[in-house]
Amino acid sequence: MFSDQQLRTLHAAIDRVIPPDDFPGGVEAGVADYLLRQLGRDLAHLAQDYPRFTDALEAEAQAAHGQAFVALGDAQQYALLALVERGEVQAVWPLDPATFFAQFIEHCAEGYYSDPGNGGNRDGVAWRMIGYEVNG
Amino acid sequence: MSHYDAIIVGAGAGGGVAAGVLAREGKRVLLLERGPHSEFAQVPRDHLRNQRMSFYGHNAGPDVDGNPRTLEDGSIVLPHERGYQNNAAMVGGGTRVFGAQAWRFMPQDFHMASTYGVPEGSSLADWPIDYEVLEPWYERAEWEIGVSGTDSAMTHLPPYKRPYPMPSLAPNTSMRTHLKGLENLGWQALPMPQFINSEDYNGRQACIRCQHCVGFACPVEAKNGTHNTTIAAALRSGKCELKSGVMVERIDCDDGGRVRGVKWIDNGGRRGSATAEIVIVSAGAVESARLLLNSATTREPQGLGNHSDQVGRHLQGHYYPMVIGLFPERMMDNQGPGGGVATCQFNHGNPDVIGGGMLADDFIVLPIISWKMYAPRDIPRWGHAAKQFMRDKYRCLGDIKGPVHEIPSPDGRVTLDPKVRDKFGIPVAHLSGTTHPETVRTASFMYERAEEWMRASGAQKVWGYRPDLRLSGGQHQAGTCRMGEDPAQSVVDPWQRVHGHDNLFVLDGSVHVTNGGFNPVLTIMATSWRAAERIVEQW
Ligand SMILES: Cc1cc2nc3c(=O)[nH]c(=O)nc-3n(C[C@H](O)[C@H](O)[C@H](O)COP(=O)(O)OP(=O)(O)OC[C@H]3O[C@@H](n4cnc5c(N)ncnc54)[C@H](O)[C@@H]3O)c2cc1C
Repeated sequence: MFSDQQLRTLHAAIDRVIPPDDFPGGVEAGVADYLLRQLGRDLAHLAQDYPRFTDALEAEAQAAHGQAFVALGDAQQYALLALVERGEVQAVWPLDPATFFAQFIEHCAEGYYSDPGNGGNRDGVAWRMIGYEVNG
Repeated sequence: MSHYDAIIVGAGAGGGVAAGVLAREGKRVLLLERGPHSEFAQVPRDHLRNQRMSFYGHNAGPDVDGNPRTLEDGSIVLPHERGYQNNAAMVGGGTRVFGAQAWRFMPQDFHMASTYGVPEGSSLADWPIDYEVLEPWYERAEWEIGVSGTDSAMTHLPPYKRPYPMPSLAPNTSMRTHLKGLENLGWQALPMPQFINSEDYNGRQACIRCQHCVGFACPVEAKNGTHNTTIAAALRSGKCELKSGVMVERIDCDDGGRVRGVKWIDNGGRRGSATAEIVIVSAGAVESARLLLNSATTREPQGLGNHSDQVGRHLQGHYYPMVIGLFPERMMDNQGPGGGVATCQFNHGNPDVIGGGMLADDFIVLPIISWKMYAPRDIPRWGHAAKQFMRDKYRCLGDIKGPVHEIPSPDGRVTLDPKVRDKFGIPVAHLSGTTHPETVRTASFMYERAEEWMRASGAQKVWGYRPDLRLSGGQHQAGTCRMGEDPAQSVVDPWQRVHGHDNLFVLDGSVHVTNGGFNPVLTIMATSWRAAERIVEQW
């Protein structure tokens, strides 16, 4: 579904949405695994759009900085995504940037904060971070 | 073909109680349920697919595939989608995964029309029975199903004749904070009565205060539904045969109006049928109406019991104003079920609005639900600040909400879709209309009271959701087979026998004339208990 490059872009974007700090970022916590699983399941209708989205992020990075998205620093990636969120893009996007980004951040949160059985929130790390305990 | 004393369609709250009563009295019962008879492990703790967060699916049925309904705009909705008005489909019905709030309605709830008058366009009406009639049955359900609570705190009701069988659960942090809020305001405060064991009861253990109560099955069966009480007892008696995974397609009725039995289709597509002396319909408000409508005869071409065009009308649930507050200190201490303190200060007697409703703090909120629905709208949705919010504040959020007594409309209704069929080939429910607009005014009034309470509890920041006009039903669905003396204005008589049919009954939320300003299931159990005992007495 994703080429290696698309996957790297996706990972970088996920880690800007849920960045690592003293708790794991999205990728380390399994958000990409969650997403890949969902693209074969409930989000199958987005299976083609997601690679288009990462390609568009790539094109955006090239248009704005002449560099690959993953080559940008965190702050530059963040700033670029903030423009995408507002729909202020330079490249030609095959899908509506603001709408797609809004969905993307929801999917990231679903992976991070839902139960580990869904593929993300590895070992319940997000729940530990926020103090949601499961006993019984 | 097998013959039974009674066939019950639907093993939920009403049907489960009926099965218990009839089997205990020695009647041979066939209990038919379209959903599964699930063990704890078969009701997944999936935070994205459950009866509280059903964006991608749910955990208590009905199956997402093959059970559509249709809406007024022509769209087809699936069971987990908005607008479907789903409750649940499994043995125990909604009680398998409910929040277990065990409310009696108030005396005034049975006299809404005579207390408030009938707003134009609404079908607000009095019940043909009242609180006094139901009181012994409330008590019966509280003791036999098992409720923990504090009767002396229920000052909005006439004094209880018998206390609750178990004391209230010990308060958690959220309850203590919100209790202080109520005290600051001088409003009535009470611990919410719950179908939850606060101590060992009926051979099952006490609640372990886990964090997956509402929307999930209980890991230790300390949550009391019909599946582990009346249905379990009926099965133990050897008098009740349970068939799960069977969808009843039609009630058979002869030309004289006498019901003969039912036909069903199982999940493998096999057809079956049985006959009985009586048939009890307990499929929940939407599906009970659908089944009666789908059982038309030459004598009643519009559906059984539908000679007055009443079946399926007055569909009601509850509007839920919800207020969220951000507190300076932690509210969530992981002591489930979470919710627990309530006020009935505003169920009645409010200026310029009809009725009102109970307000309470809510259950422990799953992290993903908190992020999607509770986080303030003015914080960033991604990046460091978003993560930091969840990290610092997830446990500092509180919520207050409550069911508003709906003002029904005859146009809020269930009919049959002329074209769309389910996977069994049965015409599906078509949902149309809305609740009467007066309900929006009452809900707004209640929203403001919830806001006041939230501030008084010490929230620094308060926001929330005010309900808009819409069709209601959902988990609190009721009203589609109204109880009444007059066959021109109701579907069942005060003993829940379908007008014009000696041996056909409806025992579930459908019979509610109005739905109270409370979660409805204790009232469903009480009416069903009363009707089932009467059926046995008159046998
Ligand atoms: C998550 C959740 C939380 C809730 N919390 C509370 C609460 O705290 N307090 C409260 O009072 N209420 C609560 N409720 C609502 C409560 O569960 C319902 O009010 C109650 O279950 C309704 O009872 P009923 O008998 O009308 O129908 P149900 O309990 O819905 O039972 C109907 C049964 O009939 C079956 N059925 C339908 N059609 C057919 C057919 N054709 N053939 C065979 N079987 C059929 C269904 O599958 C279902 O199991 C909650 C519900 C849910 C889902």
